[in-house]
Amino acid sequence: MRTVKRNPDVLWREEDEVLAEARQALERGDDDAGELGTSVLFSGGTVLSLNILGTEIWQICQGLSIDEIVAEILTRFEVDEDELRGDVVAFLDDLEQKGFLSYGD
Amino acid sequence: MGTEEREVVLQAPLTINWAVNNSCNFACRHCYSREDSHDELGQELLLDCLRKAARAGVLSVNFGGGEPLLRRDLLQIASRCRELGLRISMNSNGWLIDAEMAAALKEAGFSKVGISIDSHLPELHDHFRGMPGSHARATEALMHLKHAGISTSISTVICRINCDSIDELVAFARETGAGQLNFHNFKCSGLGLAHKDELDLSPQEWKEFYQRAYAAKRSVSDLDISLDDPIIALLGERDTESMVKGSVCGKLSLNIKSNGDITPCGFIPVVIGNIVTDDLRRVWRESPLLDQMRHKQPTGKCSSCSKYAECLGGCTARALALTGELNAPDPHCWG
Repeated sequence: MRTVKRNPDVLWREEDEVLAEARQALERGDDDAGELGTSVLFSGGTVLSLNILGTEIWQICQGLSIDEIVAEILTRFEVDEDELRGDVVAFLDDLEQKGFLSYGD
Repeated sequence: MGTEEREVVLQAPLTINWAVNNSCNFACRHCYSREDSHDELGQELLLDCLRKAARAGVLSVNFGGGEPLLRRDLLQIASRCRELGLRISMNSNGWLIDAEMAAALKEAGFSKVGISIDSHLPELHDHFRGMPGSHARATEALMHLKHAGISTSISTVICRINCDSIDELVAFARETGAGQLNFHNFKCSGLGLAHKDELDLSPQEWKEFYQRAYAAKRSVSDLDISLDDPIIALLGERDTESMVKGSVCGKLSLNIKSNGDITPCGFIPVVIGNIVTDDLRRVWRESPLLDQMRHKQPTGKCSSCSKYAECLGGCTARALALTGELNAPDPHCWG
């Protein structure tokens, strides 16, 4: 079973001011919550901004399989499971391609 | 889940280039900092400022100077940075790095050290740096650092003395076992401005340099050749998915001088605050100059350039140094 391994050279942090704003937007049911960058990742000259869902996935993914990540995220967000699985796979594959993480057994 | 296509202004810099002193044992012909203040923050005050930076959200600090190893308490300061959770690195001329110092740097928590080497030819480097024997010491420093388990890079300022020696510099870097070779575009600041006519390349020469350098970059797999300068967007080589376009100064990073003065980068001598007295996040958020740098407007030939969205006018420091206008096209632009 493939598990995620975050690149230890990646520097990252939550943007706490934006995170607070995003959480308030979610509570209001505001679609704009997904547009806010609540964390930033930096590695090898590339900087990425992640929204609230991407940040949650990044925070929990270390050592977990896709199934485990999806199961955990479902406890935190009300989303369709199949749609979430597709998004998680695409998101992590994109980060892998950019060198921010790798997959291991 | 990534929002990287939308311009994002961070709440604090990710990284700071921090000059811990301005004293130096070399006399480099292109030095940007000789006219800077030689005032240094004392150890406790410097540590307070580093704590302030860490609390603001800064993730990494790259120590420089002058020659940072001339500061006797650098190792103590570095150790405390590690306790603050800061990733630390350094740029040095290598003169003071022997086996013992390399081991001490590792112990203090340095993850990476960049050594300045401007030629594969010892005599040329020594002359350019104003210090006989400096090439040999720099080369040995790389070896000591590698042996101590610290990642190394070579910093080469590209100018007229070395622009035609790409292959030789790459071969030299591979021999030393350095992990990265950084080709820095010549900045026209400090002595670099004073010696510009002697050292700088023409725009066409810069284009030819980058074309050759990218060919070299693609041909090697055991050495990371970094050519990061906003002007490379003209060749379509910039990472178009990164959230930062143009220069990263003032968007990801800041520069702090040895007296605590904050500037957008080491090559822009405009002071926007002081880390001793000012709130870092407030400076980052409210500086009019940083706002201008984050929202550059095309002027001159940039106005009709298809690459502007990636390039954003190239290096702001060069534009400001040579024209007095930060929105002016990068003087090195060959477009």
